Amino acid sequence: MRLVLLGMSHWTAPVEIRERLQLACGEGGPVPAELLGIPEVREGLILSTCNRVEVLARVADGETAVERLKAFIYRQGNLDAAELERCLYVHRDRDAVRHLFRVAASLDSLVMGEPQILGQVKEAYRRAADHRTTGVLLNRLVHHAFRAAKRVRTETGIAGNAVSVSYAAVELAKKIFGGLHGKTILLIGAGEMSELAARHLLRQGVGRILIANRTTARAEAMAAEFQGTAVPFDRFPETLPEVDIVIASTGAPGYVVTPEMVSAALRRRRNRLLFLIDIAVPRDIDPAAGEIDNVFLYNIDHLQEVVDTNRETRRAEAEKAEGIVAEEVAAFEAWFNALAVVPTIVALRGKMEGIVRGELEKSAHWLTGFSEEERARIEGIVDAVVNKILHDPITGLKEESLEKDELPYVAAVRRLFRL
Amino acid sequence: MTGIILFKTALIVYFAAACIYGVSLWGKRVFPARLAAGLLFAALAVHTLSFVARWFPAGEPTVIGLYDALSIFAWVMAAVYLLLQVKTKTRVLGAFISPVVCLLMVVASIGLGGNVSAPPMLRGFLVTVHVILSVAGEALFAVASCAGLMYLIQDGLIRGKRSGKLSRFLPSLGDLDRINHLCLLWGVPLLTLGGLAGSFWARIVWGSHWQWDPKQTWTLLAWACYAFLLHQRLAIGWRGRTAARWSLAVFVILLVLLMAAMPFFGTLHRFV
Repeated sequence: MRLVLLGMSHWTAPVEIRERLQLACGEGGPVPAELLGIPEVREGLILSTCNRVEVLARVADGETAVERLKAFIYRQGNLDAAELERCLYVHRDRDAVRHLFRVAASLDSLVMGEPQILGQVKEAYRRAADHRTTGVLLNRLVHHAFRAAKRVRTETGIAGNAVSVSYAAVELAKKIFGGLHGKTILLIGAGEMSELAARHLLRQGVGRILIANRTTARAEAMAAEFQGTAVPFDRFPETLPEVDIVIASTGAPGYVVTPEMVSAALRRRRNRLLFLIDIAVPRDIDPAAGEIDNVFLYNIDHLQEVVDTNRETRRAEAEKAEGIVAEEVAAFEAWFNALAVVPTIVALRGKMEGIVRGELEKSAHWLTGFSEEERARIEGIVDAVVNKILHDPITGLKEESLEKDELPYVAAVRRLFRL
Repeated sequence: MTGIILFKTALIVYFAAACIYGVSLWGKRVFPARLAAGLLFAALAVHTLSFVARWFPAGEPTVIGLYDALSIFAWVMAAVYLLLQVKTKTRVLGAFISPVVCLLMVVASIGLGGNVSAPPMLRGFLVTVHVILSVAGEALFAVASCAGLMYLIQDGLIRGKRSGKLSRFLPSLGDLDRINHLCLLWGVPLLTLGGLAGSFWARIVWGSHWQWDPKQTWTLLAWACYAFLLHQRLAIGWRGRTAARWSLAVFVILLVLLMAAMPFFGTLHRFV
């Protein structure tokens, strides 16, 4: 089918090379229309994300086109060919289809299962469609890629669980509280990790944020950033009755939050659920606090464990996803083959069949001289001759459909046999 | 006759829903649960029609016998669950509710097609109100205990740091606790009103409000337990694990007592 996909990703190219290409091929970069400037290119699409730059094209002549597309990419990145050669991968035909499907389904991503990539593929397709650089084949192919990605998403658990500590904390919070709207968080210690977790939680609709830090200036700076409230460090226990999620990350050598504090707070908050997250090392929250009813305590190791299990699950799910991709690749190939070759084969067989039947009917009057068995044998011989004659042309047509883009044989057969 | 066919259809559809919920729980997939919720809704609709078909020829709602009581019990449970499903998105609760509904329907079907005309003593507006309200209240407690069971499972998973596939599949603790709250909040007043209606009627037909009949005593006990739970919840803040534990424990104890006391129910206040 003469489909080529060239590109480089985080697997093959270091960031310094990727970023130069990405800058060149991003929103302000070359439009997909420039691809059509290459004489062999019939349809084209450029995908550019932080982790990959890829060019997908339907071409007339495989090898020349690949060379010219490579030159095109080097020119864009203003890069040295020898250096780039090592980073670049080239997939052809079925491999190109599989690669695109895997990329769209987020199987090739750095964080497998991350959801952004599908949107980026859609965006790349939209750009190409805007410039009218896609045709029958790429339109169908890209839509098929969307379908494969959707199947992977719904039929496997590949995107189902958090693979970062801060996101794992958010998921747990959701499992505990249901919605996070109107919940209050308290940050004890304003470190980088707690800031990240707070950012995630705020994005999920957490209502209010309180910040207690030993250095008041830092607490106030962060409070200003998150539109929260700074609390004097030694008075944070007083806020416990009104908060729902506590993220502790101080550098204190001993426990900052004691079980006594927690149970006192719990009485005052009438046993409303309380989620304590301890990401400090050494720990800030006495583990005994986690034994109290309606209190859930996770420390950094617990969260890391969740993340590890999730990674493991994702890997297992990825195998299922590869199966789905293989199925979809086969389905796409089947569509493609049916496009031109199959009807021709059917027509060719039909015509031959017609000729054979016609001739046998014409000769029916003198065939009556033969016995039933002999007649059947004559018909068998005629059928065998026709099949043997057709065998090579049909095989040729089938091979052509798998290997070539233009289908001169199909056209020739149609013309020669007047199909 | 139509009533019986509708009832049987409802039973079959409830059963199908319960099976699909089971599949959903087993495979930890949401899609079958969505399908099952649709089936449950259909079953509820057919079930509703079966009441209409049963009551319409009689000219009034007749609720006599085990059949009616259990049938209403099942109906209320299914209806309450579907309402909660809309409100709190706790799809999987259906996997715990629907088998109970099915079981109730099966037991109810034993008395299927029983006499529609009640003895004169059990006829009247107050009897109907009494049965419907009491049974609805008890059905709400059953839902509360199903939610309690799920709460304990989910709580154990999160507490034990085993927040795997099952935990992700079960509803959040907050939602389950909210269900407990809602069910108690509505169940206690319904049972109270149902009991009052019964007692007024008893005054008329028996001449006294109270008989210390085994079933009356049982119901009084149930009412006291749940009123206590509701009180503790509202006044002291029995939430989360405590509330779930007690709701489940009280329900199980009452169920065991009911089974044990069943043979002695042959007195005044019979179901059948």
